Amino acid sequence: MDIKDIIAPFAVWKRAFEKPFTVRKPIDERPGAPRYRGFHINDADTCVGCGTCESICMNKAIDLVPVEGRSPSGGDSGLRPRVDYGRCCWCALCVDICPSGSLGMSNEYLWIDSDPEVFRYVPGVDPKPWDGAELGYRRAEGYRLLDMERVPMPELSHAEGVKSFLELVKGYSREQAEREADRCVACGVCVASCPAHMDIPGYINAVRGGDLETGLRLLYETNPFPEACGRICTRACESACAIGSGGDPVAIRWLKRYIADQVELADYGKSLPRAESATGRKVAVVGAGPGGLSAAYYLALLGHKVTVFEKDEAPGGMLRYGIPEYRLPYPALDKDVDYIRSLGVEIRHGATVGKDPALAKLREDFDAVYLSTGLPSAYRLDVPGDEHPRVLDGVAVLAAATRGEELGLGRRVAVVGGGNVAMDAARTALRRGCEVDIVYRRRQVDMPADPEEIREAKAEGARLIERAIPLRVEDSGDGGARFVWNEAEMVQKEPGKRPVPEPIPGAVVTERYDSIIAAIGQGPELSYITEADGVEVRRMKPVTDRTGRTSVPTVFAGGDLVNEKKDAISAIADGHRAARAIDRILGGRGD
Amino acid sequence: MGYATFGEVLEFAIGRENAAVDFYRELSGIAAFAAQKSTLAEFIAMERGHAAMLEAMKARGTVKLSASTAVDLGAARRVEATDRPPAGMTFQDILTAAASKEARSFELYGRLAREAGDPGIRETFERLAGEESRHRAYFQDLYEREVARDN
Repeated sequence: MDIKDIIAPFAVWKRAFEKPFTVRKPIDERPGAPRYRGFHINDADTCVGCGTCESICMNKAIDLVPVEGRSPSGGDSGLRPRVDYGRCCWCALCVDICPSGSLGMSNEYLWIDSDPEVFRYVPGVDPKPWDGAELGYRRAEGYRLLDMERVPMPELSHAEGVKSFLELVKGYSREQAEREADRCVACGVCVASCPAHMDIPGYINAVRGGDLETGLRLLYETNPFPEACGRICTRACESACAIGSGGDPVAIRWLKRYIADQVELADYGKSLPRAESATGRKVAVVGAGPGGLSAAYYLALLGHKVTVFEKDEAPGGMLRYGIPEYRLPYPALDKDVDYIRSLGVEIRHGATVGKDPALAKLREDFDAVYLSTGLPSAYRLDVPGDEHPRVLDGVAVLAAATRGEELGLGRRVAVVGGGNVAMDAARTALRRGCEVDIVYRRRQVDMPADPEEIREAKAEGARLIERAIPLRVEDSGDGGARFVWNEAEMVQKEPGKRPVPEPIPGAVVTERYDSIIAAIGQGPELSYITEADGVEVRRMKPVTDRTGRTSVPTVFAGGDLVNEKKDAISAIADGHRAARAIDRILGGRGD
Repeated sequence: MGYATFGEVLEFAIGRENAAVDFYRELSGIAAFAAQKSTLAEFIAMERGHAAMLEAMKARGTVKLSASTAVDLGAARRVEATDRPPAGMTFQDILTAAASKEARSFELYGRLAREAGDPGIRETFERLAGEESRHRAYFQDLYEREVARDN
């Protein structure tokens, strides 16, 4: 043995008294490759908190967590992904799948800390030195794990469609529906945005799996109008869809329609729940629109005897008398209504509550009353001359078209307004062979109508005249009317508010029309509520609590009459909510 | 029409608010159903509040109102034609009448301010005009939200 080997163990003892030698980083200045998969970065403003990254992570390294300063809103769950680097394997599947494209990886790979808890953080929320890193892994241009393009819907061409009232949208085939359903990542962000909180991922999954009975059952849990809503819903869900943050949103509305179209009415009973045994309680519903019939359906399911009082000769309310059949064919609406009727709901037509019967009589004869009378009265143009006989009410024109009446619009028609009633009136007039101008006070971008409806109306031949403030209507002396408007410019008068149309001095335009259809807005018809009824009304709306209950404990109200959304799905949701509340006051559990 | 003192100006303004109360009360008398009456009752209460506010200012001897005028949204331009809505008046009729009344008061105070010789009186009228413009904007905004939603 060498003498050094004997001395060496004693020699190392001197090291025990020296300051240990360490480096802050084991490796200095060795940056990751430009596309290295380092620590995550996230654009928290672009991220919608859909959780697709969480779902795909095979190591369960990602959790969606609430973060300060973000709350759930339409299309954003308010959650953000938190990454646990004790689990992450840096595979970057989360980056590749991210629908919004907000998630990426920096090329930073060194992070030293004695506290193991810090290696779990929320990228883009918890500040890190690599935030905003230019280098690192990003999803390659054009590379998508998800299919971002919607399966096209077969439709009639515009030229063909405008010739008749045939339904424009033909509906998906099974193969198309399943392919479209496959695009859904089941994040559920859409559920919160739907006024009725439909189980959208659930029924889309049912389409994917070909289980339409389950799909139909899920639809009816919160919406007894799947045929109608599958065609005309305002689809807040699609605006919220996470896939829409980076591509076409999933065609949720069309998938709903697909389910309802595929199941025959005679087979509905196989999937849907039966009504509970009769409670002996009676409920009156005023108005057979979507809101009233929704309440009727859920009340009937709970075992109550429901009678619906409707002034018109057919049920459906604005779904029938306000939406043309090329968007919602009557047989589809009838299928929804017939199923509701099949539960024993009685609809009395030609019953104008207020005249016969009085609301007081309903309160006397029934245990509870639900008011869902909508907004049936069109407001006037509110300019001099608006009582000219050629100035027509848009709602009345649409109702006359539903009844198959001769509209007598003439050749040239102006439709005044920018909402869905205006678009429907314009497209109805086009189908009656008219030349149509849509005259709107603001810009196309400000129009409250569904953008799809605006596009369709223009594609079918309507001319949009923007920034036109109506001034007056004059008699043209030849059976028509002259419509006079002032061209306007949009002026930002108050910061943070939308621009206001201001007339351009001297820019007055006069056009002669055979008919001028006013579609600027609709109001309620509340003459049926008397002071003696005691229902508190404020600004022409019954005052209700969140369940729809008015100041009279047994009288409830909802739908367009009360809510701000003024669309079918909100009315349906109101009806469902009120039905549960009514059930509770009648001794039920309300579920 | 000349107003020599601050008190006279305020008295005039209070008189106009009370006239507005009478106007809505008269409309309420011809209202055909409860919803119209409740809307008009709300407006009566509002005008009474304005009158009470002016009474308090008169007692204090100062007008605590901003002279800056609110934006004219341009809705309900049909000022002259809506003095007396019909018995079956809609919300549109009531709001148009209300906005028109406030617009007329705004214009009147503006004119009186321009005609006033005394700077103090002018300022008081300007402040009253500013207040009326805000009332007009309130009704116009309501009109835009509740009536002309699609316009």
